[in-house]
Amino acid sequence: MSFARFLTKRLLQGAFVVWGVVTIVFGLRVIAPGDPANVLLPPDVDPEVRRQVVADLGLDEPLHVQYWEFISGIPVGDLGTSLTTGTEVTARVARSIPATLELAVAATVVAVIIAIPLGVVSATNRHEAPDYGATLFSLAGISTPNFWLGVMLIIILSVQLNWFPTSQRAIGLPAVLTFLFSGELEAAGAGFVTWLWYITLPAITLGTYFTALITRLTRSGMLDELGKTYVRASRAKGLPESLVRYRHVLRNTLIPIITVVGLQLGTLIGGAVITEFVFDWPGLGQVLINSINSRDWPMVQGSLIVISVGFVVVNIVVDTLYSYVNPRVGFDG
Amino acid sequence: MPENDTRRRDFLKYAGGTAVAAALAGCLGGNDDEGGEDTTTGGDGGDGGDGGDGGDGGDGGDGDDGMDLPDFPVSVTQGNMPSGLDPHDHRETPTDVVMLHAYEGLITRDAEGAAQPALATDWSRVEGEAAAEFQLREDVTFHNGDTFVAADAAYSINRIVDESVGFASPQSDQLAGVSGAEAVDETTVRVELDGLNPIVFSEFATYCDIMQQSWVEERSKSEIGQQMNGTGPFQLDSYTQDEQVVLTRYEEYWDDPAQVSELTFEAASESSTRVNQLLQGETDVIVNVPPQEVNRINNSDAGSVAAAPSTRIIYNAMRYDVEPFSSKQFRQAMNYAIDLESIVSNVLGGFGAQTGQPTLPEFVGHNDDVDPYPYDPDEAERLVEESGHAGVEIELNTPVGRYLKDLEIAQAVAGYIDELPNVTATVNQRDFGSLVDELLTGNIEDKPPWYLIGWGEATFEGALVMTALLSTNGALTSWSNDEFDSLLETAGNSTGDERISALEEANALAHEEAPWIFLNQQFSVYGVSSRVDWEPRSDERIDAYAMSPAE
Repeated sequence: MSFARFLTKRLLQGAFVVWGVVTIVFGLRVIAPGDPANVLLPPDVDPEVRRQVVADLGLDEPLHVQYWEFISGIPVGDLGTSLTTGTEVTARVARSIPATLELAVAATVVAVIIAIPLGVVSATNRHEAPDYGATLFSLAGISTPNFWLGVMLIIILSVQLNWFPTSQRAIGLPAVLTFLFSGELEAAGAGFVTWLWYITLPAITLGTYFTALITRLTRSGMLDELGKTYVRASRAKGLPESLVRYRHVLRNTLIPIITVVGLQLGTLIGGAVITEFVFDWPGLGQVLINSINSRDWPMVQGSLIVISVGFVVVNIVVDTLYSYVNPRVGFDG
Repeated sequence: MPENDTRRRDFLKYAGGTAVAAALAGCLGGNDDEGGEDTTTGGDGGDGGDGGDGGDGGDGGDGDDGMDLPDFPVSVTQGNMPSGLDPHDHRETPTDVVMLHAYEGLITRDAEGAAQPALATDWSRVEGEAAAEFQLREDVTFHNGDTFVAADAAYSINRIVDESVGFASPQSDQLAGVSGAEAVDETTVRVELDGLNPIVFSEFATYCDIMQQSWVEERSKSEIGQQMNGTGPFQLDSYTQDEQVVLTRYEEYWDDPAQVSELTFEAASESSTRVNQLLQGETDVIVNVPPQEVNRINNSDAGSVAAAPSTRIIYNAMRYDVEPFSSKQFRQAMNYAIDLESIVSNVLGGFGAQTGQPTLPEFVGHNDDVDPYPYDPDEAERLVEESGHAGVEIELNTPVGRYLKDLEIAQAVAGYIDELPNVTATVNQRDFGSLVDELLTGNIEDKPPWYLIGWGEATFEGALVMTALLSTNGALTSWSNDEFDSLLETAGNSTGDERISALEEANALAHEEAPWIFLNQQFSVYGVSSRVDWEPRSDERIDAYAMSPAE
């Protein structure tokens, strides 16, 4: 199967998945308690005013009409209008994407940078002190809920030691890039340092679970591979041990790791909700929580569409990478 | 380096020189991202119009511009951001808090809730007619430099009450009983009333922000929601929806200019995040400090906790049409059964006041002779026996996280009642949205028999509280009593002492009949940085005009 056909097939599948998510979410508003107008307006508001607001928001239309209006806007990028702020959902959601992507990627980078060397050290020193240390670390990391870790990091590193800001995002990478491209190098450098300073704690918080997971994966993958016959053959040929470990064994170990990293990146885009909440990080997770609380359905749908699209795209990219790392995997899947 | 907007300050630490600062400041003020559709800068005046305060660049210059006014930036962190900037298109306190720095009403209130002149200097009823007249202040300018005239005031009133002017405002019932307004001359506006409307000036003291007619008419609805042009002491500098509103001092303000030079509003929905930001010096005023965090703030150098009684009353409604709550003895027993003093001091950490009537002490109509029910479990047990409902099981429906310690209050109430040997009480935790759905159907049968809810009334009018919550036709009523209804009707058709005594009598009756378990007056609890001198108000407004640098 050619790459083009593979891509077309996956995109169609992806579109179907997104449609499914959207439809289920739309269905949820039928069962979920809480009328947006009641959240938007104080309880004492005049019934006539309430009726007027409901009509203005289009909430008095039959459900199938509302559904069609919503679905028909998606292909042209129109995700509707927020019930609380009256602004366009598309613009609002688009504005929060950079923050979420930055956090997800930063968390992944933190995880990969720490986890792979740790996993390798652990595997090559099996049942020795470094191995126990790494295993203990990953066990602790997997068992630590990230809302707790986030709060602890804030209390210790921000409030007590004053090393990092407690929350928020003072500047985004897009702004840094703008400076860079307009030639203001000093500003771009300063902006980048600020960005790094603000994102460190949330990235560690979000990345910790992930670090632990990859460490364990790398360790067990390496051990698995090290026991295989081709390793013995390479060593018998007289290849230096470093070449065996890093050129052959690690590369083969990376295949499952890439899959997991990819899948997790998708999860991180949607799963950063709690971390964003704790650090007041202005990403999709914040938008999602706030809009659920205010029953702002178009905004809920909009952010979920973006999250599910992100998931689908990441998966396609992972599958593509997969066949690059391991040529035996073709585009037949 | 000036004690500045922290985000900007942190950034400047790295940026170094003031030249870079000037280049960056505009960006950091709001638009972090490229897709800045929601980001706008202030009204017409723009940067050119706001005179010599150096605009944004001034922040980088160590604040030594030779001006008399201090360089004193303050940032406020609420739980939510404003839903938009149109002062007539919202019903939320966090939005109102931001609005009231840029927009003003005809009448305002001082920190204790008493009415004070604002854009109107004098107001009175027109003898013999269903109308009122306001004399307006002269030489007031909007932020775009235009002069405020009576036509603007009339237009603003009509924009709220009249659907055909602009749009259908969700605030039309805040000016209930007002049918329209017109300018008599440049400085007089006449307001038409439906009948007597005894609370008309209370309404205007709380609601009705004044906008400029031509400014509104030249703009689309969405532009009005993203820009500001009022007469208040602060003008809009930049707005990033859901993230930040930055206001700067309006130096042409009709009264003394504000001490605060730049006012930033941000939001963090998680209370511990707000507390950490305050402790770290990243913000200056935070809202809704939970009692368990109070010591952490007070024990730090960063700031302290300040509280004021709010206009919100927390109560347990008991539906008069279902057993056992149909019995007056049973309802009284519920009030005797709880140790309200202990709830206020232990559950609320002292941040609350006991109530014994539907009207709060600061409100019009409060009866000073009525005290809260004392804690008397023996009397409660006796009254339950007398009511004939001994052995009954009841369930208290409560929202979670909507009011200060709502669940904990409900658990304490149910706990005390459950301690009575002849009543079993439990708590049912509810999602606020679904509970309110049941309360608002307009049909008393849809309401749970026993529920905890809170009610804020910004007009300081006890009559409005009692009408909405306890009169037979009230929007949220759980009670019906002919004598009570007729007292409210008397109050609605009279003014002065006659009205006051009818309201006081209604409160005494409500205490005696006990349609509620009277709980606490909620306090607004703020964390305030030690660099800011400010006293909280009773109406949940955070008035930055009243802030000054701490000595």
